[in-house]
Amino acid sequence: MSGQRDGRRDIFLVANSVDELGGVTSWTHQMARLFTERGHRVHVIGIATPEDPHDLGDLPYPTTRLYDGQPPAPGRARDASMRDRAARLTRIFGAARPGAVVVVTQVWAMEWVRLADTRGLTVVGMSHESYETAKASSRFRRVLKYYADVDRMLVLTREDADLWIGEGLNNASFMPNAVPWLPDVPSPRTGKAVVSIGRLSDEKGVDMLLDTWAEVAPAHPDWTLRIYGSGEDEELLRKQCTALGLDDSVAWMGRTADVPAALREASVFALSSRGEGFPLALMEAMAMAVPCAAFDCAPGVHEIVADGEDGLLAPPGNTAELARKLDLLMSDKALRDRMGERARENVRRYGTAEIVDRWENLFAFLER
Amino acid sequence: MMFGVNVEQQPQSATAGPAVPAGPAVSVVVIVYNDEARLPTAVRSVLEQTLRGVEVVIVDDHSSDGSYEVAARLAALHPDRVRAYRLPENSGGCGAPRNEGIRRARGAYVLFLDSDDVLERNACRNMLEAAETTGADLVSGLCVRVHVDTRTKKEVKWYPWLYSRTRTLDSVSELPDLLVYDTLSTNKCYRRDFLVEGGLEFPVGIHYEDLFFSAQVYAAARRITLIPNRVYDWNVVERPGAESISNRRAEIANFAHRMEIHRRVDRLLADQGLAELKFAKDVKFLKHDLVLHLRDLPFRDASYRQEFAALANAYLASIDPAAYDEVEPIHAICAYLLRERDWDNLLPAVDTLTNRDKVSAPMAERDGRIYWCAEHIEEDPFARRILDVTELGYHARPVGKMFLRNELTEYSRPGRSGVVRLAGRVTNPLGVIPPGARLTAELEFYARRPGVRFRTFRVPVAAVRHEGPYVSWEATADIEKVLRPLGIVDAVWDVRLHLGVDGERTSTRLTAAEPGLATGQLPVRPRLTRLVADRVEPHISARGHLAFRLVPDKKANDLVVRGLRGTPGRLAKTGYRKAKALRKKATSGDTKIRLYHEAFLRLPPRRRLVVFESHLGRQYSDSPRAIYEEMRRQGLDFEAVWSYAGRPDGFPSDATLVRRWSLPYLRALARAEFWIDNQSYPLKLTKRPGTTYLQTWHGSALKRMGFDEPSWKLKSRAAQAEQQRTLDRFDRFLIRSEHDVRTLAKAFRLREKALLRVGYPRNDLLVQARGATERPPLAAELGIPADKKVLLYAPTFRQSGQKRFALPFDVERFAETFGDEYVLLVRAHYLNHVVLPPSVRGRVVDVSGHHDVTPLLALADALITDYSSVMFDYALLDRPMLFFTYDYDAYVHEGRGTYFDLMERAPGPVVRTEDELHAVLAGSSLEEQSVKYAAARERFTAAFGEYDKGTAARRIVDEFFSDWRRK
Repeated sequence: MSGQRDGRRDIFLVANSVDELGGVTSWTHQMARLFTERGHRVHVIGIATPEDPHDLGDLPYPTTRLYDGQPPAPGRARDASMRDRAARLTRIFGAARPGAVVVVTQVWAMEWVRLADTRGLTVVGMSHESYETAKASSRFRRVLKYYADVDRMLVLTREDADLWIGEGLNNASFMPNAVPWLPDVPSPRTGKAVVSIGRLSDEKGVDMLLDTWAEVAPAHPDWTLRIYGSGEDEELLRKQCTALGLDDSVAWMGRTADVPAALREASVFALSSRGEGFPLALMEAMAMAVPCAAFDCAPGVHEIVADGEDGLLAPPGNTAELARKLDLLMSDKALRDRMGERARENVRRYGTAEIVDRWENLFAFLER
Repeated sequence: MMFGVNVEQQPQSATAGPAVPAGPAVSVVVIVYNDEARLPTAVRSVLEQTLRGVEVVIVDDHSSDGSYEVAARLAALHPDRVRAYRLPENSGGCGAPRNEGIRRARGAYVLFLDSDDVLERNACRNMLEAAETTGADLVSGLCVRVHVDTRTKKEVKWYPWLYSRTRTLDSVSELPDLLVYDTLSTNKCYRRDFLVEGGLEFPVGIHYEDLFFSAQVYAAARRITLIPNRVYDWNVVERPGAESISNRRAEIANFAHRMEIHRRVDRLLADQGLAELKFAKDVKFLKHDLVLHLRDLPFRDASYRQEFAALANAYLASIDPAAYDEVEPIHAICAYLLRERDWDNLLPAVDTLTNRDKVSAPMAERDGRIYWCAEHIEEDPFARRILDVTELGYHARPVGKMFLRNELTEYSRPGRSGVVRLAGRVTNPLGVIPPGARLTAELEFYARRPGVRFRTFRVPVAAVRHEGPYVSWEATADIEKVLRPLGIVDAVWDVRLHLGVDGERTSTRLTAAEPGLATGQLPVRPRLTRLVADRVEPHISARGHLAFRLVPDKKANDLVVRGLRGTPGRLAKTGYRKAKALRKKATSGDTKIRLYHEAFLRLPPRRRLVVFESHLGRQYSDSPRAIYEEMRRQGLDFEAVWSYAGRPDGFPSDATLVRRWSLPYLRALARAEFWIDNQSYPLKLTKRPGTTYLQTWHGSALKRMGFDEPSWKLKSRAAQAEQQRTLDRFDRFLIRSEHDVRTLAKAFRLREKALLRVGYPRNDLLVQARGATERPPLAAELGIPADKKVLLYAPTFRQSGQKRFALPFDVERFAETFGDEYVLLVRAHYLNHVVLPPSVRGRVVDVSGHHDVTPLLALADALITDYSSVMFDYALLDRPMLFFTYDYDAYVHEGRGTYFDLMERAPGPVVRTEDELHAVLAGSSLEEQSVKYAAARERFTAAFGEYDKGTAARRIVDEFFSDWRRK
């Protein structure tokens, strides 16, 4: 009934896709790598394949794509193809050693997994977003339906899990994301720059960050807001920036592959999203000892940031308060240093070793 | 001695890994007594747990049916997971078998399950995970009561507020409500060693063993974890018709047990150094335990009441008097009257306990306060405190808004026909029905048929008159003639008495105060068939009200019941439900919006039709009113429609009045040439291009508005665009100053050409009143003496949840201190409501009901406000202003933020506390205030009211309606 004596397992990570750009896919490969390093046999399975797949390089674990492109549109053809692909999943799962685990990273992928034979396997379903974000989308009903019978349904925080439990999902629990790196050298916090890193999309609320900056910038003429990222809203946002008369103090930095370098130039990190899950960018800023001012827009945010201790939080959408918090950090070097160092220390609880231990303990618990 | 099966068999744990302890993780103790049918279901709910390491320990309380045999069979079927035991003799309770279960359990953790209930499938896994992660001695989860014999298997969560989130307590004293409310033992997981080492057992030989056991484990646990997960389904079966003498005996005995358990728990808490929990327990006793039994009193005879009082009062004596302040007034009143054994006042009070909106006591006014009754208050200061119901505002309610107690004093049947004589008396609280009032009354019988407009029959009341503190009445009704049920459908008929007091109507229900008053069957003539029933009998509802119900003919009734339960009945019932749903849909908002767009908008527009609305129809007030009155004054030729919400009282009689959201309202909006309002017409209604929307708005802004508000900013781009469409309906928007342009116009993203810089029509009156020396006639209407100055207190709206808005200062103290000099007018925001005690009559006046605030502003010699936009309007009068900002920080930082710092720009003193308010008012006269802040007021008016020149209404008429002047 239990896994291998040494605790090594077969782990299947089933995602919407193996090689699309995006947070959940990055998370999937991060965990695949970490599990592999612990000696587990990992297999990453994607349902669909995007038109321009992201180049993953050499992976130390096998991958499988159920469809070459997208599955047929919902209807009879989709149903038939799903049965066919589920049979393939059954074959893959059937070859696993006792104690194997299937981790479904998104509820869409679960629609295939639930048709496969998973007897004898532990099935974990995940929702990588806050309860509120899910609630506002069609995923809400699907999570309640397709994850009702998995062995464990995991969200990102205890608070989110409690909310799902309140909806009747009694198998819900939580597992935080891991911060991918903990650098040896923190940011010196001397550059007079506030930095924001994220896609330029409505969800990330850069429009609200510009409104905020319009309130705080006049008091700090020597400071710059550096906005990293690209996306569909870039043109709109640049127009708004000009209309607010902020062109002199806002720098559009584009996408960056070197997040630590971006953070090294900054002294304060700003997060102005409308919704979040368990924001990686926030953890990375903390890892670099850059204190944040953030909208408290999801349980994940106040789970990561201890308000007033290692960062400052403002009520979501309240740009006056976010401006006030930014102003506090920008005006007080000692406060920045104190909070930045605390942040660096506190974010260690999401280190990769800690998080992988938690996963292994969970697998063992679900076998009891 | 007890015997068991498989007693010696130890589970084999050779395959378990090193981390997993030997033996099952969890033992579930299932107790059973004469419940052979349901036991297997309970046990299955354990065997099917997602946690595999679970064993079942069945303990049979010496059943006389086959329960033990069923248990033994289950044990034989699952030898390594189920064991069965039997007590040597019946214990009569749950304590002994559960104690036996604890002794037999082998798991590291123990749960209890009753044979008629079930565990949720993940219960053991979730509780074990919580226990192991936090190291708790006790984990507790959500219990759900499932009403298994209802059509929808209705579910009611058991004290869900305790289980809204996961939390861990180091002591139950962190959450006294847990000990006080969740007294179940079955929704919990106990560390077995914690129970065994602490000697924690159920008491035996007494009911309510759970109350004591749970208190004991809460008190002993060094750590408690609560999880929001549903863990336990408590299956509830209603058992109707349990109304017999032996039950009454059992009821008193049960109550005696309950009191004894309460005493034991109190002793336990005292011994464990948790005496502070006793207070929370006292509070719950007053508002919960006692209430359960009090509600039955009207249905019980005198000897029962005496026995009950003796038992309850012995315990009430131990209750902390301060606990009375923590419960609702009616709870405290009932407990007090019970203690005093004042039955004459208690039984009416119980009526209010059962029917919360009912006014059941005559009440008394003493020294400017209102008391529940005239008794007790003279001699007992505690009674004065408990019986003071001034805050409930009974004295401020008209008779038409009161649900008065109407006590049935006579029910008799003079002959053998269907004629009954009824008599009763209606409570007359505070003489709300004046002695000289013209009284009329009629009885109404109506079928209890939810959702369908009921059939009613009316019977005149022969006599109605004042009689001491009551209004008494007598009537004779021929039930056979008036009550014509539709066969089986109208099984229950309710009765009410409508009382007319000088033309104002108030409705009452007939309350039978004594058991056995109304009995005996009466003939009726059903309209469909006599086959099923031709007799009715009086019946007292659970709320204590007289009703009549058909007495079914037994044989025919069986046929009918079979019909109702069979296919035809089911079809009829679903058909009925469908019809109900359809009707609901036909009158829904969506349907009306569709009608507006698809039918009304296609009608030709009506020239010179103007629809006016103020504050969503709640008032006839503000700039729409000022414009309307100017149009009337100039005698324009136009058709006026005013929208009202609720009641049309106070709206102009020379306009067509339409209820907001009614079809005439929607039709008028669809066809109108002008829309004039100060807030917003329904968001979902699009405006015909030919209609001009004149948005007057209702005040300059201190707090952030529109897209400057956090909640608007947070909306997605699509939702913001949707919102913008509703704002783009405004063709013109009134502006009082460039401050409005920077704030409101920007926040609503209005086009420059929509802005109309003419000031507010409502403020024309204020500009004209500036420097006026004579008082407006409103002063006389309000009865303000000429030698008193008028202060107006007009705070902004506050979200106060369910609670009534409370004045932030002691109004009696205020009247006491300043009553010789000032009359204080109190104007609550139209969404808030305020109650003034009678003691301040003539010195403090509630003017919240006045439609329009402007005349009140014009009357006031000085204004006290906080953040309300009346400050911008009142400033036009150039009179003293005072800012009482007792919650400034919370308002500014926790709310949506402000456009400027009031502290810097307030044109008058800003005070934070009641004492500061008194100091400012006592320290200098209004004249001195006026002089001191003259310059600040001037700056303030210049900044926020530059376009208010007193001619706004005229200018608007000139611009839009000059063609409508009669030539």
